[in-house]
Amino acid sequence: MKLERRDLAKVLVRLLFVQATLHRKGMQNIGIMHAVDAAAPKLSPEPGAFLARHAEHFNTNPNAAPIVVGGVLRIEEERSATAPASVSRFKQAASSALAAMGDVLVVGGLKPLALTLAVVSAIYSSFTGLVAIFVCYNAALLAGRYWGLSFGYARGWGVVDAFTGPRIQHVVMMARILAAFAGGILIGVMTRRAYAQGIVELTVIAVAITGAWFAMKRGYAPARLAIVLFPLVVVVAMLAK
Amino acid sequence: MPDVVLIALIAGVLAIDDRAGWQSLLGEPIFSALIIGALLGTVGPALTCGVVLQLAWLSIGAARGTRRPNTVVGGVVGAGATSLVLAQTGDPRESLVIASGVLMGLLAAEIAAAFARAGGELRERWLGNFRLPEMPPAAYLVASRNLAFTVVGAALFVGLVDFVATLALLPVATKLTRMLTVRLGADAATGAVWWLACVSAIGIASIARAFGTRVLVRYLVLGVAAVLVVGWLR
Repeated sequence: MKLERRDLAKVLVRLLFVQATLHRKGMQNIGIMHAVDAAAPKLSPEPGAFLARHAEHFNTNPNAAPIVVGGVLRIEEERSATAPASVSRFKQAASSALAAMGDVLVVGGLKPLALTLAVVSAIYSSFTGLVAIFVCYNAALLAGRYWGLSFGYARGWGVVDAFTGPRIQHVVMMARILAAFAGGILIGVMTRRAYAQGIVELTVIAVAITGAWFAMKRGYAPARLAIVLFPLVVVVAMLAK
Repeated sequence: MPDVVLIALIAGVLAIDDRAGWQSLLGEPIFSALIIGALLGTVGPALTCGVVLQLAWLSIGAARGTRRPNTVVGGVVGAGATSLVLAQTGDPRESLVIASGVLMGLLAAEIAAAFARAGGELRERWLGNFRLPEMPPAAYLVASRNLAFTVVGAALFVGLVDFVATLALLPVATKLTRMLTVRLGADAATGAVWWLACVSAIGIASIARAFGTRVLVRYLVLGVAAVLVVGWLR
């Protein structure tokens, strides 16, 4: 039986919580089983056996999971024409190919872009800006996931080729470029503010940036470094007065 | 006390969004601080605290390579301690209170991460032992129900861990923030403000490290130049 838009919406809602059951042994397998369970009775006369086929280890970026699941649903729908091992092979191939894309696009591009712009908005006390960034980011994320599920369902095996092609690499690169540009804006804003406060503040920030840069290069966690720095800076300030 | 419970509840809900849901950004310190500030009527200082914490933790998303502190609890506790102390004492040295709140947020994030790791082991054991029931046709309904319960239970567990962590850490952090602001003299207060600038500088270093690659560095420089040119024109 063919899935309707309502069935895909149910699968999508469940996919929003795919990270809830993330664990070392099967990673996202429980979340994936829960998501495909929404369509199981329509796709298989034996929904129990259908679920059992998806109990295997599964791991990908949560934003890429809808694409894989969309493909899985299409392959399951056409199951009579394909080999039994086909779904498993598809999941392995698609999840690893899409995991890297999802990581770079969302974690390395969209999220830093949104957070950097949010910091700039907060520095200028622009609550409208903060709300707008929040709404835009979530609209993009949710629309992307819905599109991914529909695209995967429409293409089946074809998604692997579509997401390893040059067009998607271009989109990922654009997100990274925008994030880098926004990062530059934040650096510019903070430098200007430090300069306006005085030469001492500017020097302190320059020293801190250099220190944090080298600390990160050597693998130290910068936030922990900040904790250690607190008593040090307070003592230096007391001695300097 | 009701404020603390309410803030802890918010932390629990934000944790579900951040680690079990679709990661809407509400769990990021900048947005969680905005929520806490709006709740306690101290939006400005809470947001400043959130901004500094966000900058300190920017490297987690962009540059990676760090063992992740619990930023949800850290952000909520930092902003919560700042807001509660300002609301209770009306201390005019806002920057000093914010610096103390940020320090508490950073500490709370590390402690909560250790606490969550311990809780995570329990969760691992539970989820690792998940099995579908044997599959005669009638067992499908049981399997389907078990899956739903497991997903909902696992999400609630994530929220519960952060709720408990915040409930335990926020009163202590508030007390320590108040103590710090009372004890620190004028010179030390200047140091605390310098420290805030240093923590913000970590964010700059994170961005420079994440995007200072051969391909992306030109766009980074372009962003800096855009701000400087706009500032100069104005």
